[in-house]
Amino acid sequence: MRTITYAQGIKEALEEEMRRDPTVVLYGEDVANFGGIFRITSGLQEEFGAERVFDTPISENAFVGAAVGAAITGLRPVVELQFADFLFTTADEIVLKAGMWRYVHGGAFKVPMVVRCPSGAAGVGPEHGQCPEAFFMHSPGLRIVSPATPADAKGLLKSAIRDDNPVLYFEHKLLYATKGEIPDDEDYLVPLGKAAIRREGDALTLVAISAMVPKAMKVAERLAQEGHNIEVIDPRSLNPFDRPAIIESVKKTGKIVVAEESYKTLGVGAEIGAMLMEEVLEYLDRPLRRVAMPDVPIPTAAALEKFVIPNEEKIYQACRELLS
Amino acid sequence: MMDKKLKLDIYKKIILSRRLEERIAELIKAGQVGGFMHPGVGQEALQVAAIATLRPDDYMMYAHRGVAYWVARGIPIERVLCDLSGREGGTNRGKGGVMHVVFPELGVLGESGTLGGCFPIAAGAGMSIKVKHEDKVVLCFFGDGTSNRGTFHESLNFCAVRKLPVIFLCENNGWAVSVPTEQSTSVKDIADRRHGYGVPGKTIDGNDVEQVYDAVSEAVAYARAGKGPSLIEGKTYRLWGHWIGDPDTYRSREEVEKHWRRDPLPIYENKLIEEKLLSEAAKAEIDKDARAQIDRAIAFMEKQPFMKPETALEDLYA
Ligand SMILES: Cc1ncc(C[n+]2csc(CCOP(=O)(O)OP(=O)(O)O)c2C)c(N)n1
Repeated sequence: MRTITYAQGIKEALEEEMRRDPTVVLYGEDVANFGGIFRITSGLQEEFGAERVFDTPISENAFVGAAVGAAITGLRPVVELQFADFLFTTADEIVLKAGMWRYVHGGAFKVPMVVRCPSGAAGVGPEHGQCPEAFFMHSPGLRIVSPATPADAKGLLKSAIRDDNPVLYFEHKLLYATKGEIPDDEDYLVPLGKAAIRREGDALTLVAISAMVPKAMKVAERLAQEGHNIEVIDPRSLNPFDRPAIIESVKKTGKIVVAEESYKTLGVGAEIGAMLMEEVLEYLDRPLRRVAMPDVPIPTAAALEKFVIPNEEKIYQACRELLS
Repeated sequence: MMDKKLKLDIYKKIILSRRLEERIAELIKAGQVGGFMHPGVGQEALQVAAIATLRPDDYMMYAHRGVAYWVARGIPIERVLCDLSGREGGTNRGKGGVMHVVFPELGVLGESGTLGGCFPIAAGAGMSIKVKHEDKVVLCFFGDGTSNRGTFHESLNFCAVRKLPVIFLCENNGWAVSVPTEQSTSVKDIADRRHGYGVPGKTIDGNDVEQVYDAVSEAVAYARAGKGPSLIEGKTYRLWGHWIGDPDTYRSREEVEKHWRRDPLPIYENKLIEEKLLSEAAKAEIDKDARAQIDRAIAFMEKQPFMKPETALEDLYA
């Protein structure tokens, strides 16, 4: 086992996949010389050359759509968006082109591409701080991942690059510096579509997404000290979504809290709630609780941002309510 | 330069396209096939002559207007008819209808139903040619109205800075549904927009087969040599309505009549007759042959079963 940061996990995945496969190209704004505004890609242009790692004009529609064109003609492009919010700038290219090009043409193409989307509130305000995963869960044809640990950041990105479908890879800005262990295995992959059970328990199921995972783990420890052994599940992939993992857990615990940084209305928790209603209502002995963003844009001032972002205390309170 | 064989081949493809659209219009009007069809009558010279400049391994992104793109590229017409009617044997298995005919074997990469979605995709195909050190090109058709999309400007700039082998070919037919070009577009000649991006190109008569062939050939050679994109505009006219069934109430009959006198089909035909490449007898033969091909294709289509409804759930993920 080695200890690496989440940012390092992303970088190692890029390096290893680019070394392994000459059709992988990486581009976006400021990724070449500067190494990306989050400095994930520094040094990659030196190693892989200006044809495979390059800066683009500020033209999100052109370069995200170009990934679709490149993918259907034999490359595996990895596009860096500076902020996940810019997915909305490229809605046509993401939703209607990347997500649908294969389908509308009757399966004539594969669309192997990855869009890296730095997400999450970090004092950067309403247009640079969202976690818009749920919007794209509502779009057929896309794969969506939200890694929470350094090992998953690496293993999921490698799988995403090798996948033959378009993958939106949400990397949370506040996780970049977090550290964690990664197996020594040369070719460590994390499969898309498989949830991680971060902690086993039988008192309650706590589903936590992305930056909510470390918070959920702290809540679980606190509750353990109070005598409640809760299960923490990190879905990791939101499409494909590991429904059985959550269903099985709820059958055991009968209670569920979902913690996420998406807006509450029609967020990931809403889908989980609906799924449980359809599948295992009889196992639920308390109503589902969602800890999510209130439906307001993310304000910039620290005090306001802190007020809206789901924190440990809110997650703890939601769990307590169900456990009492 | 075009040789005799090429000239006649282009002529045959224009005839086949024209006759096929006439038949499709009859079928739609008689309720025999459904389908949302934008006819390209009047624009075939531009489409067929431009595609004639390509190699079979080049890529193309066609626009939504007409069947000539597919005829010119050599996609079997019975397959297009199956796409139109939602039957087995089409190119996209009932998913995209006649708007999304596809043929990767001949570099036909499909169509974006949202106008302007084609530009970034064409740029991406150009990117992949460059990364793989190939000498293919991408020919990307679009309408004058579509040249106002942001994707056009972003992609032209992107291709120009990265010197990608993409030929942007505007079919300026004067209208975008009911809006005339001068009411939507800041320049008279769309090819002028090339100056904003530092790329070569020109405005030509899109109803003149030879002008189209020469201009596009030049752009193809430029792209193949790794020099980058071009922007060409062919002035043409949409002789029929925007779609089959369009009441076409927004244009004056005089205007439409005037343009029928510029119909590229008789113009080209007369030219070939003058050049003694075509006789009245040969002309009749070509026409008869086109009609027979269409009859066979329609008979094939009619024998094909409709797509099974459950197919709707297939082909989403690889
Ligand atoms: C983004 C988008 N906006 C609007 C439409 C609806 N639409 C389809 S064809 C058309 C007119 C296109 O005009 P032009 O580009 O000049 O091509 P033409 O139809 O004249 O061949 C419009 C508005 C669309 N398909 N996509």
